[in-house]
Amino acid sequence: MASSDDPARREGRYDRRELLRKAGAGAVSVGVAGSGFGQAFYGPMRFKGRWLKGDLTLITWAHFVPAFDVWFDKTWAPQWGQQNDVQVKVDHILNTLLPARAQAEVAANGGHDIFFDLAPRPQFEDNVINHNEVVQEVARKVGPIGKLARHATFNPKTKKYFAFSDNYVPDPVIWRHDIWNGIGMSPNTWDSVRTAAPKLKAAGHPLGIGQSAELDSNMALMSFLMCFGSYVQNEQHRVTIKNKRTVEAVKFMADIYQRGETDEIFGWDPAGNNNFLYSGKGSLILNAISATRTPEDRGLPFANDLWIWPIPRGPHGRKGYEHVMGCWWIWKFANNPAAAKKFLADLEINYRDAFVASKFYNFPSFPGAVPFKQIRKLVAQDKHKPLGKYGVLTTIAQRYTTNPGYPGYTNAAFGEMFSKFLIPQMFAQVSQKKMSAEDAVSAANHDIQDIYTKWRKLGKI
Amino acid sequence: MEALAARPRGRRWTNVFERPGVLASVLISPAVVFVTALVGGPLALAIWLSFTNATTGLHGKWVGLENFRHEWGNPAFQHAVWHTFLFTVISQAIVLVGAGLIAHALMKNFRGKWLLRFLILLPWAAPIALSLMAWKWMFDTSYSIFNWTLIHTHVKAPLDVPQYLAQPKLAMGSVIAVHAWRILPFAVVIFLAGLSSIPKEVDDAAAIDGATGLRKFWSVTLPLQLPIATVALLFGIVFTATDMAVVYILTQGGPPPSFSTEMVTTWAYKTGVESGSLGPGAAISLFLLPVLAVVSIAMLLFARRREVS
Amino acid sequence: MEAFGRVLREKGLSYLIVGPFAIVLAFPFYVMVITAFKDQTEFYNTSVTPYWFGKHSPTWANASFLFHHTPYPTWLANTAIVGVCVVAITLVFALPAGYALARLAGRVGQSLGVGIFLTYLIPPTLLFIPFFAVIKQAHLTDSIWSLVLVYPSFTVPFSTWLLMGFFKTIPQELEDAARVDGASRLKTLSSVVFPISIPGILTVVIFSFSLCVNEFVYAFTFISPSDQKMVSTGVYTDLIRGDLPEWGAIMVAALIPSIPLALLYNMFLDRFIAGFTGGAFR
Repeated sequence: MASSDDPARREGRYDRRELLRKAGAGAVSVGVAGSGFGQAFYGPMRFKGRWLKGDLTLITWAHFVPAFDVWFDKTWAPQWGQQNDVQVKVDHILNTLLPARAQAEVAANGGHDIFFDLAPRPQFEDNVINHNEVVQEVARKVGPIGKLARHATFNPKTKKYFAFSDNYVPDPVIWRHDIWNGIGMSPNTWDSVRTAAPKLKAAGHPLGIGQSAELDSNMALMSFLMCFGSYVQNEQHRVTIKNKRTVEAVKFMADIYQRGETDEIFGWDPAGNNNFLYSGKGSLILNAISATRTPEDRGLPFANDLWIWPIPRGPHGRKGYEHVMGCWWIWKFANNPAAAKKFLADLEINYRDAFVASKFYNFPSFPGAVPFKQIRKLVAQDKHKPLGKYGVLTTIAQRYTTNPGYPGYTNAAFGEMFSKFLIPQMFAQVSQKKMSAEDAVSAANHDIQDIYTKWRKLGKI
Repeated sequence: MEALAARPRGRRWTNVFERPGVLASVLISPAVVFVTALVGGPLALAIWLSFTNATTGLHGKWVGLENFRHEWGNPAFQHAVWHTFLFTVISQAIVLVGAGLIAHALMKNFRGKWLLRFLILLPWAAPIALSLMAWKWMFDTSYSIFNWTLIHTHVKAPLDVPQYLAQPKLAMGSVIAVHAWRILPFAVVIFLAGLSSIPKEVDDAAAIDGATGLRKFWSVTLPLQLPIATVALLFGIVFTATDMAVVYILTQGGPPPSFSTEMVTTWAYKTGVESGSLGPGAAISLFLLPVLAVVSIAMLLFARRREVS
Repeated sequence: MEAFGRVLREKGLSYLIVGPFAIVLAFPFYVMVITAFKDQTEFYNTSVTPYWFGKHSPTWANASFLFHHTPYPTWLANTAIVGVCVVAITLVFALPAGYALARLAGRVGQSLGVGIFLTYLIPPTLLFIPFFAVIKQAHLTDSIWSLVLVYPSFTVPFSTWLLMGFFKTIPQELEDAARVDGASRLKTLSSVVFPISIPGILTVVIFSFSLCVNEFVYAFTFISPSDQKMVSTGVYTDLIRGDLPEWGAIMVAALIPSIPLALLYNMFLDRFIAGFTGGAFR
């Protein structure tokens, strides 16, 4: 039956399950579960009648570009396993559930060997190995780690890499060229966005810059602040949010909301702004390119009118965060740290395939793994219209992408502020006229200072 | 005396069970031992955690009441407490009235009763995480069926429709409504049990006295239903205050500002798990315990007293 | 004539009260049914009414995806197994405890009863991390048996309370009569008390099973491999790709356990009420 969904992407993760089913799924799984007492079921290797030495268990997210998971589970992991005599098992869960699972594994001192999350989690520094070795190994083969990844996964105080970042995702704006053309404008600067806002809304196509308690809003609003020269912390990791620039930025965004957006921007989850765009209603969102890949896959009528541009320019230029950053870490309690390290190193060294499999979503954290020149050639081959639309990603990656916590390093205090969505909170207070801009900034500053003091006392910053 | 005289001769060991105390201990202890062993350890650990500044893993430095003091003064926590109170009270009020009415009406026989009862039981039979997805879809910012109706009946303009999970007061209302929706069948069943257990003699006596309809309801049914209503209310309150599924899946405690639907449970989860401050997170969760204990005991005493009379 | 009028009014009142409630309570399920069998392209299209199917619907595509491309049947099996085991364990512990607390215990029993109830007040968000440590020690991580171990921690207190209340409504006279006739306590339990408590047992079965099926926090913390998940966690984690929940498949997944369970509960309800009204006085 006609589903514009690509069947290949669905098959991927579940072939193992199909084998299970043919073997009498229910009974087998019960038997294994019951008698095995926690022995997880390993992959298709067993069915080949060959028992491999060594095991490796990973847990990661369900990638927003499903083709990547297909490649990772069915091609990369089994192949690597074969070559290194290791049985690799990959589990996937919804990305919002990763922090809970990580906490539980730490508390239980057991779980998967390698853990993945979409952001660096500095709070686990004491529970993970030192990843310097992996970073150095990769640097030997393809060149040094990118500044972005280094600032996100390295603790300058303890001189330890608390995570290994294999990729980051540049964060462009995705906008409807046809609609903006209709009012004769483009989102080049935040000023033009503000001017365009009421016109777009009048045309029935409001903007969609989220102010919700979720990841996309966090990224968009914090990048927006940077365009106005406002930073949450400085290089010494002191809180620097309370100043005139922040107030100006908050007022600016409140104006955009009041004249050009609807209330739904306060109630989104990470898929909210995507759906806003896919429904045809939205004229602009800040999102990674999953927002263009899905319309292509689904054959939406305006897929060719979705343009990809860098974040609009503010009074202090263009700056954005990465949309998400893939971070792997090896727990101290891992059963097979040697294999784990090799797995991660090999993954990054051979990142070209990962890059392509993710349809350009995953940019390598080590620029040498897939040099920009090579990336430009690859994206130029993309056939979707307008031709060459994905080329701008390299520009964004090279010029306009920084790590969360810029100009400082990503740290646990920043992470907690991020997880509690204090920045969207601050913006929403002003947009909904619940507080004056000055008061909202003051309140946010107070809350953030609190968090930083706590983590400083713990000696982590 | 008669009991003694009639004591059976037989195998000696069974005589031990004749003593009520012994039998009672034998019957109760498995449950007590099981629950204590299972819950006791983790609970003690959690309590200990709340007095430390643990972040990840289970170790941290002892900080005494610092976590509690800090959260007490934290506006986010204060809001969470207020929201939890509102959420619990309003949803349970709706449930109490609704379930009372429905149960009463279901006591009579009428055509189609089985089908109607089936429909009423559905929200409770459905696994909550799954029915919440249906609600999420019904409240969707772009595809909500309610908004579609409003737009197509020209009541609201397309950009002017309510956003059920995005506008603060509306979000609270939505969350309360969904929770009441989910608990209603459960309360109906409890009420039905209570109504059914009213002995027929009482019913007949009331009829003889000429008490019908409203008067009967007020002076006969209601007082007799009070104990069971109290139990239903108590379980409803406890369940509502300690469950985070509805808020977590629908709004994650949002929308900003002031995290309009943040509950104590979701705030504890955000602090403890997602931000990595296990100690403070445990402290926040613990706040609920004494409050609920006091409420429970008060209600139980109330129910017991009414029961006796 | 007047009596007829009164009967009509009473029955009418019943319909008037129950009808609207039934509609409101069941409405989301109607939406589920429509969405479950609708073609994907149609529910993202606002020109197709959400109240009925469009041109390409109804379709089995969503159901087919659910059954062939996800471990959904395994999840159902897992949930059923956990549910049945937990109900059995709960009955074993709660039935005797409930009876004892209702009949035999005195002051100590009352406090014990309250104590057991108080464990029910502990929120799962407090316990799930320490519990996970326990599960790890027992080598039960990623296994459905971890849940079979942990779920009774909230079903047993709840059920004990329920049964305690239930046994209190059964008049003491019945048991005393049996004892006077010469039966030992144990025999009284098995031949008099047990048959009467069938409605109570049914109640515990229904409530406990429903608590298990609905539980979420422990299920997603303890189990991460796809094929060991429960229905709630499996659907939530595997069918939502962050960007794009598979709404059609999710709705099918939601309907499949709900309808049989509601039917089952409805059937039990009759017996359980009959037990209350008839049993004790027979």
